[in-house]
Amino acid sequence: MTQSKIAVDLILKKLAESTEKTQDRARKASEVLLGDLDTDLATTPYEVVYQEDRVKLKYYRAPEPGGTTPLLVVYALINRETMLDLQPGRSVVQTFLDRGLDIYMIDWGYPTRKDQYLTIDDHVNDYMDNAVDFIRKTRGLDKINLMGICMGGAFSVIYSALHPDKIQNLVTTVTPSNFDTDKGLLHIWMKQTSADRMAECYRNMPGDLMNLGFLLLNPARLIIDKYVGFLENMDNRTFVENFIRMEKWIFDSPDVPGATFRQFIEDCYRKNLLIQSKLEVGGRRVDLKKLTMPLLNIYGRYDHLVPPEACDKLTSAVGSRDTEDLCLDTGHIGIYVSSKFQREFAPKIVQWLREREPAASRPKTDRKGRAAASKKPAASKGKGKKSKKKSAVASEQQQAG
Amino acid sequence: MADEKKKPETDPAVFFTDWMKSAIDFWGSMAAPSADGTESRTDDAEQPKNAAWKARKSWESSAKVFQSLMSSMAEPDAMDAAAKSAGMVPDFVMDMAQQTMDAWTTFNREWMERASRIGQQSKAYSFENIDQEIFKTFREIYEKEFQKYLKIPSLGLTRFQLERFNRYLDKLTLYQTALSELLQMFYIPMEKSMAAMQEKIEKMAENGELHDDIQGYYRTWIKVLEGHYMTLLKSPEYTQVMTNAIDALVQYKKAREEMLSDIIGQLPVPTQKEMDELYKDIYLMKKQIKSLSRKLDACGEGKGEGT
Repeated sequence: MTQSKIAVDLILKKLAESTEKTQDRARKASEVLLGDLDTDLATTPYEVVYQEDRVKLKYYRAPEPGGTTPLLVVYALINRETMLDLQPGRSVVQTFLDRGLDIYMIDWGYPTRKDQYLTIDDHVNDYMDNAVDFIRKTRGLDKINLMGICMGGAFSVIYSALHPDKIQNLVTTVTPSNFDTDKGLLHIWMKQTSADRMAECYRNMPGDLMNLGFLLLNPARLIIDKYVGFLENMDNRTFVENFIRMEKWIFDSPDVPGATFRQFIEDCYRKNLLIQSKLEVGGRRVDLKKLTMPLLNIYGRYDHLVPPEACDKLTSAVGSRDTEDLCLDTGHIGIYVSSKFQREFAPKIVQWLREREPAASRPKTDRKGRAAASKKPAASKGKGKKSKKKSAVASEQQQAG
Repeated sequence: MADEKKKPETDPAVFFTDWMKSAIDFWGSMAAPSADGTESRTDDAEQPKNAAWKARKSWESSAKVFQSLMSSMAEPDAMDAAAKSAGMVPDFVMDMAQQTMDAWTTFNREWMERASRIGQQSKAYSFENIDQEIFKTFREIYEKEFQKYLKIPSLGLTRFQLERFNRYLDKLTLYQTALSELLQMFYIPMEKSMAAMQEKIEKMAENGELHDDIQGYYRTWIKVLEGHYMTLLKSPEYTQVMTNAIDALVQYKKAREEMLSDIIGQLPVPTQKEMDELYKDIYLMKKQIKSLSRKLDACGEGKGEGT
């Protein structure tokens, strides 16, 4: 007991010593918090070129087009696509544009109670398909590039398998395709959850309730430590601005249409139908062997929401002969927002797409004057499957080399 | 005065006569609203048939009925009969009170027996491990001993509304229990991490390795806490308790919605159920229109190709 008292004395002594420092921090913090803060998200200019119900198609025009086939980005129904354009200097969108890639992005909007009956079929075969057709028509293209994120990645996989004639290349990022794993807590919990009852009760799955679930995946870090970190740094304007931007993004959670939520949990999480090519959408079976376009599959080694085990089976299940897995040493969100991976992730995608660009539209140099994309032809047929697996470290070494 | 002395003041007949006389006088004056106690001076035919006039006539009429009633009750025969009946009242009241008391005693005895069974019931559970068992115990006691009262069949015109209200109370209790159990379980890592930190600090103090930086203690604690949470959140016990809480929430919310529908149904606004039906109709119609539109476009393209 005496020993414990000594510890308390020491702590109190240290506290007393740091009082002046704390007071100084509090004073600066109040200046920061009461001053003008730049916490706007998604500031890269875009125009809405197509809209159907609440779903909008955003178009980000590259200042100097690189001649690459435009890329349609499909985000998840959970949280919002603004994460890809979090802030200047940490914007996947900006990196794509800087490298001459025209971007289209689906903004799913905020579903209301009237959207409760919308199924995966409605999202994939209506909204997505109409957006793809719009881009094909306005750009005079037969095929476009498609990139899906998380649940949006699963939608993109389904779409590409059902409409392979419209997609040139597919990029999936942190996309769950194999749900039969106990590695992520979400996978464990979802198997026990009665999606039917939840959907019946809530109609649409409330975004706030899902956010609560995500916070509970790691309460020590996400409910306590995160805010302790904020208190320690709230005298730092840049830190505060970045922190508020993330808070804005995290808690900007649209509800998920009930019928889609129900189908996704039942057919994917509980029955794991997608990876087995047994999933049915709109009365059609999603046969992954029909997904024949080149596929780049990126995921995070430390992703606690969609662990590598949920992602890495996709490349071997599809019919494409040109597939690549890229495992980055980061988590679910870090891929898009970490400064370190910003330098690797988006340029890698641009490079990968450019390598598979049809010869006629391939640029000789990019706007930064770097070497032209490799002369590697689009997926060669009949020469056996070439699948690559790289870790981020290996990728970095390769780039350094 | 001599007559008054013959009958004592406590005699019910005397009391009854006096009371009846004053009642007749009272209702007589009430029946004549004008200051002089006479009938209305103006001719009824000349009065406008407005609400105030109707109310006054109604009041006068009621007062006259009471006056007539009192007068007839004041007849000597009626007074005798009433006085005799009054003498019988205590016996009747006593009988009624006795029966009520018996019923109340029986009811209480049954409740006491039930309460004693609750005590026996709780012994079946391990109260030594009170944190883990108390919610289970409460739920089982509730389900076996109290829930049945909320499930007593309701009667009468409002039986369905009553049933829905009782179901709401039932589901609310079950949800609160399930939520308390989940929160209690969620607090366990906090307790464990605090205890682990205490042990660590004691050991560090023994070895003279105490940090002089409070951040060091915090970092250690948050790491320990995270570890405990990871262990808890992956456990089947937690998953089960969480699933139970979600199920209870869903049932509670459903019961609440049903009960609220009864209230909202009385207001000039559509209920959620009605709106959901409407939304479904719109959804199906839009789907059908889209499908037909696609077919139409395909027909148009086919014709274009043909030409």
